[in-house]
Order: sequence, then structure tokens, then C-alpha cells
Amino acid sequence: MNANPITKYTWIGYTAARSNLAYVGEVISRAAFMAVILYIFMRLWTVVYAEAGASRLGGFTIQQMIWYLVLTESIMLSSPRVSMEIDEDVRTGRLSVQLLRPLSYALTRLAQTLGERIVRFAVNLFAGTAVVLILVGPIRPSLSGLIMFTFLLPVAFVVDFLGYFAIGLCAFWLESTAGLMIIYSRFTMLAGGMLMPLEVFPPRLQSIARRLPFSSMVYGPARLFVAGGTDVFRQTLIMQIAGLFLFGGIVLGLQRLAFKRIQNHGG
Amino acid sequence: MWKSFKNYIGLLIAYTQINLNSQLEYRGAFISEAIGMLINDCFWVGFWLIFFRRFPVLQGWNAKDIVTLWAISAAGFGVAYAVMGNSWYLPGLIVNGQLDLWMLQPRAVLPHLLVGRTLVTAWGDAVFGYLVYLGFVRPDLHHAALFVLLSLSVAMAFVGLGVLTASLTFYLGNGTLLAEQWRFAAITFSTYPESLFTGAVKLLLFTAIPAGFISYIPVRALRNLSLMDAGLAAMGSIGIMAAGAAAFYLGLRRYESGNLISMNG
Repeated sequence: MNANPITKYTWIGYTAARSNLAYVGEVISRAAFMAVILYIFMRLWTVVYAEAGASRLGGFTIQQMIWYLVLTESIMLSSPRVSMEIDEDVRTGRLSVQLLRPLSYALTRLAQTLGERIVRFAVNLFAGTAVVLILVGPIRPSLSGLIMFTFLLPVAFVVDFLGYFAIGLCAFWLESTAGLMIIYSRFTMLAGGMLMPLEVFPPRLQSIARRLPFSSMVYGPARLFVAGGTDVFRQTLIMQIAGLFLFGGIVLGLQRLAFKRIQNHGG
Repeated sequence: MWKSFKNYIGLLIAYTQINLNSQLEYRGAFISEAIGMLINDCFWVGFWLIFFRRFPVLQGWNAKDIVTLWAISAAGFGVAYAVMGNSWYLPGLIVNGQLDLWMLQPRAVLPHLLVGRTLVTAWGDAVFGYLVYLGFVRPDLHHAALFVLLSLSVAMAFVGLGVLTASLTFYLGNGTLLAEQWRFAAITFSTYPESLFTGAVKLLLFTAIPAGFISYIPVRALRNLSLMDAGLAAMGSIGIMAAGAAAFYLGLRRYESGNLISMNG
């Protein structure tokens, strides 16, 4: 059977998504972790709003702030360990077997990652929503905000994938890519606005964070979900396109160099 | 008893050297992972410094307090798992029936087993904890000495909690995920200011999720240079360790070997 490429990669993604749902224990465990984190954030920001005596900080009400954190945590905690898997493929030599298949290695990994991540994100969002409804109640996101969020979130996942893929390829030169992975994920966390929206950052840091692709992976989609805004949409989209070119270019360059180093000895 | 204690301290030092040397065989990986963790901790402290620049006081807590909180938690965590790294891996060892190796040797099972491995990233945490306390808080000699003693107490709390949560596996079958979440909850709560939590949650943080003994009481002790609080933190850590050891040895009666042939080295 000759499946067209889109069907092939869609099936790979679908299979990854289904296998991720099979581990019920892990799903519950992630939901429990979300609940702990959200409870702590709720306490933190409740105290901050009370001490500041303000109903809004950076334009966010306390409800919007907590919902923003549900979104950022759901995005961050759904991040699969794709760089570790690529690292493993390189070290064990499994990569050379993968390359024999009539599939692009990068696109296969992308499909698997997106399949896994969509499931993880949905579970996290579901758990986070359940917790936050009890803690602070609902908010009313705008329809336009939700549409912009739905459009940008998958792109954010792809940009993030490219970042992790590039780190995984570094296994051709480094003994371990774990350190690089930690640093990258912490940049995404801090400069991406996982812990607080960029509006709350000091002005100088805010302008730096807005010029980095990390904010388009976390802050942008989450901000659009809770408060909408065409300016944020435009800014996020521009940074995502820049991120696609930047990380995509790094991946292409590294892949070209790395694949030249593969040696097959048969057996 | 003193002789036996000295003997075990010697064993601990010997194992730490062996574990470190074996990791240094992969020097690049070791440095990359340890420095990665150190940078990770720096990012968290960076977040709190940004936070406190925007909101200078949080229910009586300031930037220095939060740095102390991170320093003591990281130093304690680092010492615990750099020296007794198997307390991190213990749930997996029990589930896979891999305790035989330690049960066959002429040493008490638990202390010998715990020192058998190191967690590479914990070295980064330990270095971060001591460096950031010295560099950012700039303590006098008394505070620095108390910090070192308290970091050992916190390390004991971490090891005790690791053993206690891992021992659930003896009773529940595969309790790996539960053990992991329990430990993560303790680590997470212990890196946020105590003043955020009240009522039943606070009670929980001094019992089931012992963040109180990991960071809250040690920070109070360092803030006020209080030997009373330091003693309380140490008592709490001894209690957690005792509970962990009791749960482990009772659970060991239910242990089933995986009949695996394994090498230690």
C-alpha cells in the first residue's frame, strides 16, 4: 500500500497520541502535579493582589492571572522529552535504522511529538480547569481570543519541537545533552512567561523577552486565551515565524553535519 | 556504637569517592548535567529576584529570604542525593527486585544500599546551594556554620522522605508514580514562602509533605540565628528518617527477588 505522506505522518501522530493515553497512571500523576502547582500559584497571587490592593496587575484580574497560569503550565508540562529520545537514538545507533525507513526522521519525530503533546496538553488543561474552577471560578474568554489561541498553539508546539530537536542532534558531539535541555527549558520557562505574564516583568526585561521566540511558545497563546488582543496575536505570530526560521535553520544545519558522521558497519 | 558509626562514615566517604570517580569517567556528561542543574536553580532564583523587584515584600518575606530558602533546599537536596543517590532510585530497585545485591553483604541493608549510587544533577544543586548562600546572603561565620549544619539536617529529611515514599512499593505493588509525586510535592512546596500557606495545608506541610522541615524551619533558624529552630528542624528530619527506615525494614519482609544477576560498579 502506498499511503500519501500526510496520511503516514498523521497515523504516526495518532498512534503516539493513543499510546500516550494508555498510561493512565502517568496521566493521573501529571494531573495531580498540576493541582499542586496551581494551588501554590493561587495562594501566591492571591497574596500579591491583596498586598498590592489592586484589582488588576499588568491588566490581569486575579481570575485571569490564575487562568493564564493554567494555560502556561499546561503548555510547559505537556512538553515531551523529544531531545532525550533523539539523544538515545544517536547513542544506541537506532538512528541509522530509522534512516533506512521510507520516512523523514525529523517529520516522524515531529508527528510523534505533536501526537503526544496534544494529548498531554488536553489532559493538563482538563485537570487545570477542574482545579481552577474550584479555586477561582470561571472566566469568559472572547471567541476571537479562542480562535487566535487555537491557530497559534500548534505553531508554538512546532517551534518548541525544533528547539528540542536541535538539542537532541547535539548528541553527535556531546557526551550528554541533558544539561542543554535543562537550560533551554528554563529559558522557555522564564523568558516565555510561564510563571508570570510579560506585562508584570520589569520594563527592560519585558522588552527583551518580547523579542525572543520563547514568549511566542508560552506567553502569546496563554495571553490570547485569557484576554485576546490582535496586537498580541500579530506579535506572537511574527515571533513564531522568526522562531521557525531560526530553530529550523539550526536544525537543518546540524542535521546536515550530523548525518555525515553516521557510519554503518553492517551486522 | 561509636566505632560502628565511624565505620559507616568511612564507608560513606569511600562510596562517595567511588561514585564520583565512576561518573567522572564520563566527564563531559557529568559536567554538562551538574552545570545544567546549577543553571536551572539560578533561573528559579532569577525568577524570584524579578518577582521581588516588582513586589518587594511578600507577607514579610523579601528577596534575601527566598534566596536562603532556595539555597538551603538545594544544598540539602544536593548533599542527600549526591551522597545517597539510591534513595532517588529506590522505588525502581524495589519494583524490579534488585535489592538482593545489598542484602547479601555484611552491612546493614539500608545505609549500604543508599550510598551505592550518586545522582549526577545533585552535585549541581549542592554547589548552587552553598555558593548562592555565600555569594548572595553574605553570611557571618555563625550563619555560615548554621547553614552547613542545617543543610545536613535537610539532606537527612530528603533521604528519609525518599526511603519512606519508596517503601510504599513494598505494600502497594508498583508505587513508583505515587512516590515520585509525593517527593515532587515536598520539593515544590519547600521552594515557596511558608507565609503563603495556612490552616490544614500548613498542617500537611509539617506532616505528610514535610516541606516545613526541609525549608521553612531552617529558614526561620537562619533568619533569627535560632538554635531552638535549628534543633526543631533536626528533630523533624530524624523523625522522617526513622519513619522511612521503619517502613523500609517492615516492607523488606514482603520483598520478592527479581532473580537478576547484577553488577555493582
